[in-house]
Amino acid sequence: MTVLSIQQGSNCVVGRFRAMASPCEILLEAQDIALCQQLTELAAAEAERIEQKYSRYRPDSVLSLLNWNAGHWQAIDAETAALLQFANSCFTLSSGLFDISSGILRRVWQFDGSANIASQQQIDAVLPFVGWHNIKLDDNRLFLPAGMELDLGGIAKEYAVDKVLQLLQQQFAAQQAPSLVVNFGGDMACNRPRDDGSLWRIGIENPTLADQAISAVGLSSGALATSGDSRRFILKDGVRYSHILNPKTGWPISNAPRSVTVAAPNCLLAGMLATTALLQGADAEAFLQAQGLKYWLVK
Amino acid sequence: MQLKQLVNISAALAAASCALLGQQAQAGTVLDDWQFNSAILLYNETDRVSAAEGVFTARGDFGDDKFLNLGLVVDALTGASATGAVAQPYVQSFTRPSGRGSYDVAAGDTPLDDTFHDTRVQLDASWEQPLAPNWRVSGGGHVSKEYDYLSLGLNGSVARDFNQKNTTVSLGLAYSHDTISPEGGIASAFAPMLLRRDFADDDSYQAAFAATRDRADDTKDTLDVLLGLTQVINRDWLMQFNYSLSVADGYMTDPFKLVSVVNSNGVVQQNLYESRPDKRTKHSLFWQNKLHLSGTFLDASYRYMWDDWELSSHTADVKWRLPMGEQWYVEPQFRYYQQSAAEFYLPFLQQDEPIPQFASADYRIGKMSAYTLGAKFGTKLAAGNELSFRIAMYQQTPENDGVVAPGVLAGVELYEKVTAVMAQVSYSF
Amino acid sequence: MKPTKILSGTLLVLMFAQLSACSSLGVKPWERDMLAKDEMALNNAPLDNRLDDHIYFSKEGSSGGRSFAGGGCGCN
Repeated sequence: MTVLSIQQGSNCVVGRFRAMASPCEILLEAQDIALCQQLTELAAAEAERIEQKYSRYRPDSVLSLLNWNAGHWQAIDAETAALLQFANSCFTLSSGLFDISSGILRRVWQFDGSANIASQQQIDAVLPFVGWHNIKLDDNRLFLPAGMELDLGGIAKEYAVDKVLQLLQQQFAAQQAPSLVVNFGGDMACNRPRDDGSLWRIGIENPTLADQAISAVGLSSGALATSGDSRRFILKDGVRYSHILNPKTGWPISNAPRSVTVAAPNCLLAGMLATTALLQGADAEAFLQAQGLKYWLVK
Repeated sequence: MQLKQLVNISAALAAASCALLGQQAQAGTVLDDWQFNSAILLYNETDRVSAAEGVFTARGDFGDDKFLNLGLVVDALTGASATGAVAQPYVQSFTRPSGRGSYDVAAGDTPLDDTFHDTRVQLDASWEQPLAPNWRVSGGGHVSKEYDYLSLGLNGSVARDFNQKNTTVSLGLAYSHDTISPEGGIASAFAPMLLRRDFADDDSYQAAFAATRDRADDTKDTLDVLLGLTQVINRDWLMQFNYSLSVADGYMTDPFKLVSVVNSNGVVQQNLYESRPDKRTKHSLFWQNKLHLSGTFLDASYRYMWDDWELSSHTADVKWRLPMGEQWYVEPQFRYYQQSAAEFYLPFLQQDEPIPQFASADYRIGKMSAYTLGAKFGTKLAAGNELSFRIAMYQQTPENDGVVAPGVLAGVELYEKVTAVMAQVSYSF
Repeated sequence: MKPTKILSGTLLVLMFAQLSACSSLGVKPWERDMLAKDEMALNNAPLDNRLDDHIYFSKEGSSGGRSFAGGGCGCN
């Protein structure tokens, strides 16, 4: 079990734990430490369940087993099928830019701030194993071609935020839940406005100034998610290569904003739109404007 | 970059994400969500007043716990109403309160003015919203107009939640300014009811009638203070306590009511227009319980009211909602009411005694008990709509407060029971 | 392929006086399932009460209690 801590602020109570390689927080408007403890325990357990199921770093996760057994039709459970259907929608709607099979490109690109640019030859070697359109998905089974790998890293955390918020709300009778924020490393969702009418003030790290500047955004309900790359990049000959890779070419997206934050009704939607915006490169802002949702962008 | 990627994909992605999360797709912020309630009540007293009353209310949800409430009430009243004069063993003649025309009352009958009719239209509006954490405020007003009556009012309240919203304390204030302008003007205190037949001609009658009237209209101002405490007792029990104070200043006499002056044999010598004090301070304590009892819902309340007219009353009201299957419910209702007489209530005045400062023979402020027995039947329809029917019988039993009826009055009914039937249809959508 | 999130959530809190009343009466927010039902609302039939109040106001010597007693009608 993850280590939990509960802390009382002046207008909320915060429960903290670590999951999905991120600091996680449950913010509760009601000044009730015992309630916050209970909710944080539930949240940590649900986050742990989702991480255990979909982490590519855990060899026994459902995802790792799917990747391990590539080349065969494999039975999948309802939750996994729903997640993959969602990934399919993202792939289609982003015209193939959002692709959960593109993680394999990381084998040739190491975004460690060094000058190690991949060669076209290396890229060409892995590119045939990228492409969601080659994957067959039914209601309850999946065919992943041999050599291909899925990575739900771009979906799982946002999914966990939404699922945890849902779970916490289910602990209350209809319309009786206090205002809650689930914040997993900056991807967050809030169920309803605070009773006192004030906004939850959430800081967004400004990538250009590293850890110093935090611009606060107000959240009353709905979700915020951010995609960006303040630290993960390759710098060679004065060119900054973003760690966002185009799954069609295998090359980093050029002229992408450093970070994009989107506000949307749920965290999954906010996260997908933020990531898809980055994948538009220089057109990120135009893409965001077309979505009709609130966004913050750091160039 | 392909232009087609700049199209709005958020709606389709939102649908996909809601499908994954098993949620309803959100269609953006709903700013105005209206709930409507309507009801029609028919009230019918045996041989007396009939009334029809329609109510329509609308409640608009403007988000962030802000609500606008609007109401319209229209009611029409016709029929005969007790004048306060006593029955006699012979036919009596009465002049209508307007001074124009007269009517006769049969021997032994309680005198009723059968020209009683009125139509009232009331409009009200209020706004409520949170003020600060755990604080709510509301403010509103009403306009009510009848043929001879106008009421204008303002009200406001503030409520504070404590203890995780298990306790709510509220304070309400209401002020109302009413103007009454009865047809024929307002009679001066204890002015005699004149009869045309006692005068030689119309002119002398009209001159004498006009002399009994001292003003065309009068006003009444009422200030109400309501202190409330709502307490959740447990998962199945909710309680409310209210203390209210109502201070009224102005014309509170009923311009249509008479007091009979009788001789030692109980024979009416004269009928005088009644006169009541122009100040009244009422207090009431109200205690309501809402209980969930194994699938049924009990609403039980008690009110004790007292005032400086020395009228006090006890009211007990019980409604018990019993679900019948998935959609229907039946709700038996019982109410018991008992009041003591106002200090100036007298069923009649004695000729050989001096006229008191105030007197009224209106049975509604005399000693009385009443009960209501009824039932409501309701069904929940699709889309949260609800249809209900209510039927009730209401019986008032005025009582003798120790007054000895002299002579002929001993042989007539001075405290006649009033029985009414109420039928109501309500629809919420 | 999804980039790593680089946010740290920070909370800038606002001051509000909170009264933390402790009482054995009452329920926790998640125990309000029954109290949240329409049938348990104190004024769950507002139109019935409004019509009744008007009838009794015009036929009896008392008024108010549940709500304001005040004027509004020339019926008594």
